[in-house]
Amino acid sequence: MRNEMTLSFVAIEENEALARMALTCFITPLDPTLEEISEFKTIVSEAVTNSIIHGYNCDGESLVTIHAQIDGQKVSMTVEDHGEGIFDIEQAMEPMFTTKPLMERSGMGFTIMESFSDHLSVESTPGNGTIVRFEKMFSPVTEASRMR
Amino acid sequence: MADIIQIDDIVVVTLAGELDNLEANKIRSTISSSIFTGTVKAVIWNLSKLGFMDSAGIGLILGRMRDLAPYKGETFILNPSPTMEKIFSFSGLASNIRHGSVDSVLGEIGGVLHEK
Repeated sequence: MRNEMTLSFVAIEENEALARMALTCFITPLDPTLEEISEFKTIVSEAVTNSIIHGYNCDGESLVTIHAQIDGQKVSMTVEDHGEGIFDIEQAMEPMFTTKPLMERSGMGFTIMESFSDHLSVESTPGNGTIVRFEKMFSPVTEASRMR
Repeated sequence: MADIIQIDDIVVVTLAGELDNLEANKIRSTISSSIFTGTVKAVIWNLSKLGFMDSAGIGLILGRMRDLAPYKGETFILNPSPTMEKIFSFSGLASNIRHGSVDSVLGEIGGVLHEK
């Protein structure tokens, strides 16, 4: 199947759950396994949290935009903000690196996004914002599971 | 949602619903204060009823491990889902994971503390 969606919301922490829910509904027609759903939800949550907390410092005004697309069994998604940006992407992607240790951010966001997706790339300009792109392949629905 | 009970020197935190950044911020201080009440020897995080967790859960648990450090307290992560188990493994917490009942972990802690 083919489908496409865009969702924008202001940078408040409550909208992390909104993004997870909306995107989970969006991929439901692919008949994902429980583990595929939960990995996908985690990727969405990490990317959106980064934009809300790091990009915009939870300012409650600026917009985070998610664009997602389904092509067959592949889901492609971008999470975009026009916030602070990342000064050193390589360092930001290191496990356990965080600029907000006092907020108990674990620094595991990018490691998780990388591990749970099939392709991840990050584009960022300090002062101009960040775009995280990822792709995830979902297993095709087998005839056996269709019969159930 | 966090349900916290104390059995002797052991704090059992049962989490339900979705543990993200918002939820972690809501429950952090309650869990911390239960650790600071005395000499807590172990914290068991029972995740059997937890539907979702992202890296905020890692931050929450690592933070409480720091709270416990002065008491040399142990941390056990009970019954995480397969996805959560992967997240804990990425974060170096695989050896803290247990599967089974709260009682089975209490039994193990009894043994561990006895050996000290």
